[in-house]
Amino acid sequence: MDGDLEISLDKLPIKRLEALEENGLERFPADLGYDEKRVNLIRRIDFAWAVEREDPSKKQKSEGASAKEGTATSQQQWPWQSLVENLQLAHQELSVIIDLINTVEANDAVTVAGMTRPKQLPNEHLSDLAVSTATKLQCFRNLGKYFKQSAKSLEEQIAREARFYGALIRLQQNWKIKRHRLVAAASGNEGFYIDLFDNSLYDSAAIFRPSSLSTIPIEHDTAGMLAVNLPRKSCHSLQFEVLGLRSASNLGKAGETKTPVGVNDSSKEPGKEHASNDERVREIHLTLREVHRAIHDEQVFDLVNREACNPSIGVNLAGIKENYLRLSIGQGASVSISLVPSSQDDETYGASHRITTETSCVPSESVDGVKLGGVDKPKKLGIPSPLGFEIYLRQVFHEHVFVKAKNKAMSSSRSQISSQPPKDNSNILGHFCMSLAHRIFSNKVLSVLENLVYRTPNVHLVSHPTWHSRTSSWTLSVKIPQSILHAGSQIPMSTAGAVKNIRSPFWTRVVVIDDSIRVEGEGSPNVVGLFRGRPDSVSSINGYDCDLVDLPIILLQQVASQIIQWLHEEALTVGIKANRDFLSLAFELDQGEIVRLVAHVDPEDTQGCISWWLTVDDGVVEEHKLHPDMSDVESESRKFLGYLSLDVLYSTLLDFLNLCSC
Amino acid sequence: MNKGGVGLGGGAGGAAGPTAAAAAAAAQKQKTLLQRVDTDIGNLVDNFGFLVNVARVNDPPVRNSQESFMMEMRAARMVQAADSLLKLVSELKQTAVFSGFASLNDHVDQRMEEFNKLAENTNGRLARIGEEAAASLKELESHYYSSTLRTSAPE
Repeated sequence: MDGDLEISLDKLPIKRLEALEENGLERFPADLGYDEKRVNLIRRIDFAWAVEREDPSKKQKSEGASAKEGTATSQQQWPWQSLVENLQLAHQELSVIIDLINTVEANDAVTVAGMTRPKQLPNEHLSDLAVSTATKLQCFRNLGKYFKQSAKSLEEQIAREARFYGALIRLQQNWKIKRHRLVAAASGNEGFYIDLFDNSLYDSAAIFRPSSLSTIPIEHDTAGMLAVNLPRKSCHSLQFEVLGLRSASNLGKAGETKTPVGVNDSSKEPGKEHASNDERVREIHLTLREVHRAIHDEQVFDLVNREACNPSIGVNLAGIKENYLRLSIGQGASVSISLVPSSQDDETYGASHRITTETSCVPSESVDGVKLGGVDKPKKLGIPSPLGFEIYLRQVFHEHVFVKAKNKAMSSSRSQISSQPPKDNSNILGHFCMSLAHRIFSNKVLSVLENLVYRTPNVHLVSHPTWHSRTSSWTLSVKIPQSILHAGSQIPMSTAGAVKNIRSPFWTRVVVIDDSIRVEGEGSPNVVGLFRGRPDSVSSINGYDCDLVDLPIILLQQVASQIIQWLHEEALTVGIKANRDFLSLAFELDQGEIVRLVAHVDPEDTQGCISWWLTVDDGVVEEHKLHPDMSDVESESRKFLGYLSLDVLYSTLLDFLNLCSC
Repeated sequence: MNKGGVGLGGGAGGAAGPTAAAAAAAAQKQKTLLQRVDTDIGNLVDNFGFLVNVARVNDPPVRNSQESFMMEMRAARMVQAADSLLKLVSELKQTAVFSGFASLNDHVDQRMEEFNKLAENTNGRLARIGEEAAASLKELESHYYSSTLRTSAPE
């Protein structure tokens, strides 16, 4: 159908002039009411085209009329006002039409044949298409952005996880990592933790309480990286003190272990992540090592406690408190072992192996205090190295309890048997205390020996390391000077013998076991032989026990008798007739006089321990040696020779060669 | 995830000897994992296919907007499928690292050997140091006692 529905925008319904009277009065049409207007509008609907062909002239006429009248009304103040009102009227017309259609339809009289949209022009169609395409493109672009974003975040998540698991795997190479399923479900933390508990110890009879440090949770820190957080002051370590006077050596405070970093520092730049990852793992290793050590210390302390409370040899419990134990080890010293929390703050020394060495070895001080010739005997001699003993305590417990437990658990024949099993397998603490006591005692013995040797010429002190914690040994040997040996070879020997048997230096061995001293020596006087008046028959080696107080005098007597023995042999070699007594050598002169060379030993003598006297007997044997006090007063029969060295003695001997008749 | 628990339990049971139950559990777990993988990959592929198919521009704009909503939804599903795949992968990694008992045991043995060797070396070194110290001590003592410090008798 070619009849178009046209809407004509009519001129404004301003008051149109209806008529103009002669007297110039303008008559306007009466205002119509709203309904009237509607009715008029309805009436205006021209159904003529449906009935007959529309008259194009009529149309044009009305269009022209409306155009004309439209221009007349163009002089309005607001140019759009007319448009707006026309649109409103058009809207009303449309609503009228629709109502009409509905009414008609409702009456079933007329049905709407159809409504068609005017056919779109091609450019409109294309523009619609363009808009849709653009919208779709925009949609896809948004999707693309979304995908990129999620890809990036997923990659970051992967990288983070890779770092976390990389660190975890590296930790796993050294530590036992386990997982709590329930904790994982609850906290979303994956529930990993490091288990530092040692299962092998549960097999042994002792029941260890599992330390609170045994499980350490692994967490993410703020950057998503692996972190291990320890509560502060939770680690304890052993503190070992030998109590008594304070000494100068304050070992152990030097930061032997680095400060363990409890909380990881997440303020590192992302660019240094790789390097910091390594550092982080290393720090965590250190932290865990600290915790492991703390657990070990706790267990050692536990063992020490248990053993201390059982009465056993060598262990004397002097005091006990929570985390503190004091044992007295004899020798006037006592040891305190305590568990102290190791400080994890950033102090100069993070590790708290604070060991102050204090010892009250009074007896040794009296010997040490003797200052000779400007030589200041260091007080350190009396003090055992505290760090060494701390390490030894740990080592001995580790070896005999932990390693044994492990070996038992593994039931392997490969056992690390130490070179010195304790005397009593279950008395480790006793062994340790006795070792400590022995060390203090042997230091005293050593100072005594050194003192003696210092003041005695031609005597050498040789130490023999025994590699046993409760045994020490030294040798005092009389070394014959080279000059005498050479000289001796030039003197014609009366005794046959192609090669002069160079006597090995006389030796005296001092062995200290725990706190008992044993002296063994060559050429020591045979007491029985003395009583029989035949001092020549000396047994080759004699040994006897003594204590520290008697040690100097016994050693000096030994040395002096060895010297006398040697002089005697030399005299016989040279051809002098001489008789040997305990500490004297008697020569018979031409006139029948007996000249004695007597050795006098005095450990307290500051100038020398062995002094030599010359006594002349007129045939009357005087038991000079029985006189307790040999005063320095020289008399006719007694002459003080001094503190002679071996070559002087030898030359003295040779002087006698001229005097003696043989 | 509980499947990990099953895996660990299965792994622990396997330590005693591969029992039938452990083997069945392991097979079941493997099947489940494969199923998950398939689901996720299928998701990804389907959704992406739909996205591509919907690229056509339709005339009524309402269909376009409908399609755009659907596209967003498909995209979200894709991302979620990818995420769950990644989770699966990390789970597998965890299981491999922490339940691979054969490799763990080997590693532990190796470390033990290393440490034992280290301990022996250290002990040997300590013994050597001790011997050297003893030898030096002997030498020094003999030198000291035969030196002029000593031969000049203290007066």
